[in-house]
Amino acid sequence: MIEFINVTKHYPGRHHVLREVNLHLRKGEMALLTGPSGAGKSTLLKLLLRLEDVSRGTLMVNGVDVSTLGRRHIPAYRRRIGVVFQDHKLLMDRDVFNNVALTLQVGGLTGRQIQSRVRAALEKVGLGDRAQDLPAVLSGGEQQRVGIARAIVHTPEILLADEPTGNLDNSLSTEILDLFRDFHHHGTTVLVATHDQSQVNRLGLPVFHLEQGRLHTPEEDKA
Amino acid sequence: MNLHIRLEAAKNALDTLIKQPVATFMTVLALAIVLALPVGLFAALNNLQQLLGQWRDQAQISLFLHRDASAAEVQNLQVLLERGIGVASVRYVGKEAALAEFEHHAGMTAAIQTLGENPLPASFVVELNPLAQSPSELQTLVAYWGRQPGVASAQSDLHWVARLQAILALGKRAVWILAGLLAVGAILVMGNTIRLHIAQRRDEIDVASLVGATRAFIRRPFLYQGLFQGAVAGMIAWLIVAITVTVLQGPVEQLAELYGARFHLLGLNSGQGLILVAASALLGWLGSRLAVGRHLDHTFS
Repeated sequence: MIEFINVTKHYPGRHHVLREVNLHLRKGEMALLTGPSGAGKSTLLKLLLRLEDVSRGTLMVNGVDVSTLGRRHIPAYRRRIGVVFQDHKLLMDRDVFNNVALTLQVGGLTGRQIQSRVRAALEKVGLGDRAQDLPAVLSGGEQQRVGIARAIVHTPEILLADEPTGNLDNSLSTEILDLFRDFHHHGTTVLVATHDQSQVNRLGLPVFHLEQGRLHTPEEDKA
Repeated sequence: MNLHIRLEAAKNALDTLIKQPVATFMTVLALAIVLALPVGLFAALNNLQQLLGQWRDQAQISLFLHRDASAAEVQNLQVLLERGIGVASVRYVGKEAALAEFEHHAGMTAAIQTLGENPLPASFVVELNPLAQSPSELQTLVAYWGRQPGVASAQSDLHWVARLQAILALGKRAVWILAGLLAVGAILVMGNTIRLHIAQRRDEIDVASLVGATRAFIRRPFLYQGLFQGAVAGMIAWLIVAITVTVLQGPVEQLAELYGARFHLLGLNSGQGLILVAASALLGWLGSRLAVGRHLDHTFS
């Protein structure tokens, strides 16, 4: 499903952010991406979203070399992925419903389809009764749930999360990561970047550890 | 492309404009004034042309005949004159009629009688539309008539026609240049306005891009905003011209009466008005397209 083959990313005049990264995540698998700040976790996710281009190596998603995707094909590619951010990236002037609906609107769904799918997504994340609220009146945990609802409302094949529990306390972090595990149990491929070691230990999932741009795989860790 | 997506984008654009009524009004008014200026000048030129059309009877050419011109020559000449382009009427003035007219206008009956013999020649008075041909063509025509058998001389007062036509051509060209410059101005006004809207909605654009929005999806509401504002500005510009014409109507009619004429100012007809609205909407769309295109090139690069 997701395959990094000797992927290197560097910016002109700056150090290498990722070095010869090899990562393989099968369809329906869930894994955690750990590492200290600046290790390259966000960059790795940006490469997956085609927000950045690979400097060297190959990045395959569902058998497609992502770096060869033309500009016109990138939106359609991104619509197959759900993404959750640490800062939620919610639109503060839109209510919860319309924040979540945006993903479906860009996909060209009709109003009726959007209505039912958004309601279902909000129910899934436990915000069924907050559809009309503005994000500003929600707690941090609730805002993150809105972000998750927006990421899963179109039932993506891949769900990416960049430090989704970064601003949350431990119990909220547990709730949020358990939500990701639920989606994984329903067949979604999930990759979560986190530096929350207690959650990493609790979940017992495969871990890819990034350190100064180099990736240590679960197999290497076992060895 | 699904219609509901376009309708949703149009609704989105209208909502954005309605949410900021003062900013929208000021943009639309600025555009309307920019458009009203060349359109007003265009209407003024139309009126000038209409005025010239009314003066066509005053463009007279007199062809004085030789005293010994034969009846056949006179008849042939009349046929030739009547076939001329733009000729409104051909009137033969015999020697006696010329004398009577002279006596009537000049009041010199006693002086004429002392001559014993009528000194005035017969003539043809040709009235023509000065705008039917170019000034040089008119001069050529008059010279041609002057060379016909039986014609002693030709007199015309066409110099003013040449001058007026030149002024009119200059005015038209100046209006087109002004319209072109102001159209660029309108595009820049709209582009700048849309740039501000884009800045306000940068977060929305970024998130939409992250969840897979195409350039067209992001661009569409801004294009509709430009289109709507341009169309409304066109309507207001039409209104400004109509009000100006109405306000000037009374004084212009009074002025015309002082010259013994009747003149009714014309504004834009419905066809011209609709062209103005469509052109204005197009300019708004174009300005938006340029602004949003530049932003998206940056976002999607």
